[in-house]
Amino acid sequence: MVAPSLDSMISGPNRLIRIGFALLLGLVLAACGAKQVVVQGNFPPPLMEKTPLTLGVVYTESFKTHEIYDEAAGREETDWLVKTGSAQVEFWDTLFTGMFTEVVHIDSHDALHAVEDEVDAVIIPYVEDLQYTIPLHTNVKVYEIWMKYRFRLVTMDAIHDHGNGELTYNPNQSLADWTLSAYGKTPTAFLQSDEEAVNLAAVVALRDAGANFATSFHRVPAVAEWLDTRNTITELPAPVTASVEESSTSEESSTSEGSSTSEESSTVDESTADDEGTTST
Amino acid sequence: MTIAGSHRVVWLAGQARWGLTVTALMLLGLLQGCVTATVDEMTFLEPTEGIGDSSVVILGRRHAPDYETEFDFIECIGDHIRRGDNSITVLHELEFINMMYPWFEPRTAPLGPQDIDRLMAQEPVANQFSNIKLEYMIWIDGSTIETNSSGSMTCGVGPGGAGCFGFGTWGNASEYEATIWDFTDQTEVGRISTNTSGQSYMPAVVVPIPIIAPVQGTACDSLGDQLLQYLSATR
Repeated sequence: MVAPSLDSMISGPNRLIRIGFALLLGLVLAACGAKQVVVQGNFPPPLMEKTPLTLGVVYTESFKTHEIYDEAAGREETDWLVKTGSAQVEFWDTLFTGMFTEVVHIDSHDALHAVEDEVDAVIIPYVEDLQYTIPLHTNVKVYEIWMKYRFRLVTMDAIHDHGNGELTYNPNQSLADWTLSAYGKTPTAFLQSDEEAVNLAAVVALRDAGANFATSFHRVPAVAEWLDTRNTITELPAPVTASVEESSTSEESSTSEGSSTSEESSTVDESTADDEGTTST
Repeated sequence: MTIAGSHRVVWLAGQARWGLTVTALMLLGLLQGCVTATVDEMTFLEPTEGIGDSSVVILGRRHAPDYETEFDFIECIGDHIRRGDNSITVLHELEFINMMYPWFEPRTAPLGPQDIDRLMAQEPVANQFSNIKLEYMIWIDGSTIETNSSGSMTCGVGPGGAGCFGFGTWGNASEYEATIWDFTDQTEVGRISTNTSGQSYMPAVVVPIPIIAPVQGTACDSLGDQLLQYLSATR
């Protein structure tokens, strides 16, 4: 009974010093550490007539956990870690649900077999490239984000189950394969923190990606042709500046330009090179 | 008695100092840089009747690559109209954009009243417009920029206190144009533009004294007044 109290009396000041030192070290490390942003936002559902399709959606692991890490180039800069994965899934879920009569998530072997006969087509989105600018030379917290997506629309036959929880698809069986760009900029210069400003720029970029997708989906020639064969034609107003960079299904994936830290661009390249894409789930 | 008297003198001195401080702060608040404003109005179709229980939405143009109409400027004009005539329903810009997603994003927003027809072809969009009873859609295009800046200021902190010394000046210019669309007739019914500019100063002798020219605020008031006059013309 006496020993612990004696021990605490002896080690009390030492413990305080240790705690103080740990706090100081923590502060120093926090000052040197990377700035981290987990993108979060409220995404409205699209206001449009639903396309009468049952769409299967495969979110690849790299899409669900998409993040970019940018290492500081100099002493004045800080490392940045921007995690967009969960926001991507939330956003595209909201958009697809609002655009199509039924949306089915295909994330496992069981899910694949359960919906085999119901699904009209499966869409697989990828973030092919993501770049952003940091206002290094101004104090204004206005960030800009560019994103390049690749969408693959495939038939259910193209998706194969390897039995080990891994789903693969054959790109040669794609109905359509196209890229889409999005841009977002912090809409106000009066935000308190850099993290908040980056988050807002990412949310604006996601919204822009959604607007681009919603207005251009039916205009992608391969998609339009496929919808035409199904007699599923929806007239949509033309976007003001939307640009659809269509690429044929047999065409090689374009390599991303600039300083992308996205892992998915390599996955896309690999999948094309192997002639068999992997959508591990 | 003496003690009470000295207390009162100290109290009065304190009051006087407090009063001086308040007066100085009020004077500082009144110090504003000069602003020049020009407003041009061009109305094609004067309203023949009030908008009744219909609503108005004010939206900023954000599709240009080099500038964006500020969200707070749009909010300022909306507040100005609401304050001037509380019977006019001015919808909040962000709420409207969210409600209409994705049709009023920078890349999809209609550029001319003729585009409304194409939007209305979508049944859910037409229903939403019918629900909010939109009568006028007002587009604001423009921004406020810093035109020039000069001067220098040095601040320091020492054991005796902190202070700044120097002089800084900068200019701001606003250029905004409001385009009014009659939503029912799907036509443009008026354009109001405002150009404002002003010079702000910041002299500092120990304490920096900002003399700010309210350039954007004046642009907001000018444009807000003209829009208010248009919207409540027949009330």
